[in-house]
Amino acid sequence: MDIAFTEEQEMLRKAARDFLAAECPKKKVRDLEEDSKGHSPEIWKKMADLGWQGMVIPEKYGGQGMTFQDFTILLEEMGRNILPGPFVCTVVEGALPVIDAGTEEQKKEFLHGIAGGALIFTMAHLESNGLFDASGITVKATAKGDHYVLDGTKVFVEMANVANYLLCVARTGKGPAPEDGVTVFIVDAKSHGVHVEVMPTIGMEKLCEVQFKNVSVPKKNMLGKLDNGWTIVDNVMRRGAIAKCAESIGGMQAAVEMTVAYSKERVQYDRPIGAFQALQHIMADMWTAMQTSRYIVYQAAWLESEGLPSEKEVAMAKAYVNERYKWLTEKGVLLHGAIGTSREHDIPLYFRRAKAADIRYGSTDYWKEIVATKIGLVS
Amino acid sequence: MDFKLTDEQVKLRQEFYDVCKELEKKKPKGFAGLESIYDTDEGWRYHLYCAREFAKRGWISIGWPPEYGGKGTIMDKVFFAEARGYYDLPGIDIFGPEMLAPTLLGVGNEKLLKRFLPGIGSGEVQWCELWSEPNAGSDLAALSTSAVKKGDHYVINGQKIWSTGAHRAHWAFALVRTDPNAPKKQMGITFILLDMKSPGVTVKPLYYMDQAHVYNEVFLDDVRVPVENVVGEENKGWQVTQLLAGFERSSLGAIMMMLRQLEELVKYSNETKVGGKLLAKDPLIRSRLAQMACEIEALRSLGYRIADAQSRNEMAGFEASGVHILASELQERLAWLGTDILGPYGQVKRSRWAPLDGWYEKWYQQSFVLFIAMGTNEIQRNIIAWYGLGLPRMK
Repeated sequence: MDIAFTEEQEMLRKAARDFLAAECPKKKVRDLEEDSKGHSPEIWKKMADLGWQGMVIPEKYGGQGMTFQDFTILLEEMGRNILPGPFVCTVVEGALPVIDAGTEEQKKEFLHGIAGGALIFTMAHLESNGLFDASGITVKATAKGDHYVLDGTKVFVEMANVANYLLCVARTGKGPAPEDGVTVFIVDAKSHGVHVEVMPTIGMEKLCEVQFKNVSVPKKNMLGKLDNGWTIVDNVMRRGAIAKCAESIGGMQAAVEMTVAYSKERVQYDRPIGAFQALQHIMADMWTAMQTSRYIVYQAAWLESEGLPSEKEVAMAKAYVNERYKWLTEKGVLLHGAIGTSREHDIPLYFRRAKAADIRYGSTDYWKEIVATKIGLVS
Repeated sequence: MDFKLTDEQVKLRQEFYDVCKELEKKKPKGFAGLESIYDTDEGWRYHLYCAREFAKRGWISIGWPPEYGGKGTIMDKVFFAEARGYYDLPGIDIFGPEMLAPTLLGVGNEKLLKRFLPGIGSGEVQWCELWSEPNAGSDLAALSTSAVKKGDHYVINGQKIWSTGAHRAHWAFALVRTDPNAPKKQMGITFILLDMKSPGVTVKPLYYMDQAHVYNEVFLDDVRVPVENVVGEENKGWQVTQLLAGFERSSLGAIMMMLRQLEELVKYSNETKVGGKLLAKDPLIRSRLAQMACEIEALRSLGYRIADAQSRNEMAGFEASGVHILASELQERLAWLGTDILGPYGQVKRSRWAPLDGWYEKWYQQSFVLFIAMGTNEIQRNIIAWYGLGLPRMK
């Protein structure tokens, strides 16, 4: 057991922290929130030069062949600094599914592009019913010659407004379980019949409605096996949950640092407000919430990175961190007083993202039900 | 970063669990936590029995230097604490093995070590703590029990309170004031060992809210204690108390006890029907148990972080305060959850009506002892705020 990062990992963290601080100050974050693209192609290009998009992609496909744990270190720093853009969806919803389930041809076609920063990927999973599990999948894919035809609407598709490819989770059949008969297709975002519209959401991170109207997809773009695509989605949910958790603990770190620093500066009743025990104890609890969140996330990331079964630990981490992040950032806003509610202040950037993070890749209740089953409660 | 255990650790941990599982079979009915060690003769005998079983395997002295019969690492100590916690076994109390032994190893002289360590390691000598006083609780340095040197003895007068198990212990480690005129209250305190059979020691029970006899008032009237029983230097007792470095701080024992309770509640919910419906299928119960599982797991991973950092001498004291706060609070919430799941039977004391041996009625009352013992959670929060976050210290 060695619950500390290696020297190389600490170097990666430091490099990421410095890069993000220089490239994406909070003014830029706010500008990108209001920008129609929602990300900076210049930063994206520089990240590709650093090898970030290809970090977990094997070297033979143009990546760096590093571990999932390394990737979560980057995410923690992105959560701490805040970096709007399609990084998580491209890697977790694009690169990793192609690595797992893609044919050799698909790997060659897409992975180099992702690693080089030329391709943005995202997964079109949720539908208007809002269900994370397979019973929510109703968008239909019908075979027609050497093509499939997609019909239906997806919502909350991250960065579909700039994506080159969408992994559409579609229903191709029916079986005894809702997971049966689900298939994933790699859809060129420029295909005829794909209509994308940005949804206004709390995190302002360009979650989109994507309409598929008779969209024709070549059979060779099926990812994995017909009717057996749910495993791909399952993997995305699990890794995505870890990714969001990693961002969240980074965000907690930022919110704690910012709040403690402010409480040492802000003087009322002739003393810094941080000298009042009522506030000290809230900040002590914020710090403790961050620490417990941190290590349950590191544990989940480690299991995933080692290829060990991790669903139970991931479920616990996501259900736990969702709630701690919201609680912690709410306290952060409140300890700043009125100024903490302002658009120009940095602390609400984290408070809003805490809610967005909670929903992304499975809400607290969704994961808790998985935990209930995993701890042995009869269902 | 790596959470993996070595093969030797896996093996040793298994051995701890196997032995503790066997010892659990001899546990008296209704035995629950700290209180049961001291409340009844049967519980005390079981405590001593477990102590001997551990001692003969050298497990009480894990982490001590080899010249005092020690072996193993802090991590080994943690795994042992986990196993004992999981099976809720006595045998090692915090006083002798956890507090005094590391203190002696830190500042005790050769003579004290030779005299007192063997009794702790064998489990034959049981210790209690004489620290708190009626007017010195969280502000422990305000203590006023006086020790006046007369030749080769101190004469001690005063009153101690909340002394866990003082009615059973053979020996005590006490904090006494040797210099009432010191410029600061932390100065002038001495850490001293005294035989509970000394003339002038009177122990009176202070019954807990559930009628159990765990705590005591201890009156000291002209108690003569040899000067050689001082640990560290005279008037430097406060520094001695700050040196509990060997104290295992992960809280993993308490955390594993909670994990076991969670497993028992899952089992109960899987077996119990209310109104024709299994409790396990009630969405509210599922959600509450799942929530508990998440929190236990989060704490457990933090506990390993603390243990790992401590074993590399990289742990900051305030880190352990965080896990202490959460473990104590969670313990209470788990007790409340248990009583809720039992419905009206959550209030029943051990009897033919009580499910799960009446554990939860007992535990509801006992569970918040950790909030207070070893520094209240408010003090723990001060420690995090001052030493962890660098916030201005209360004057």
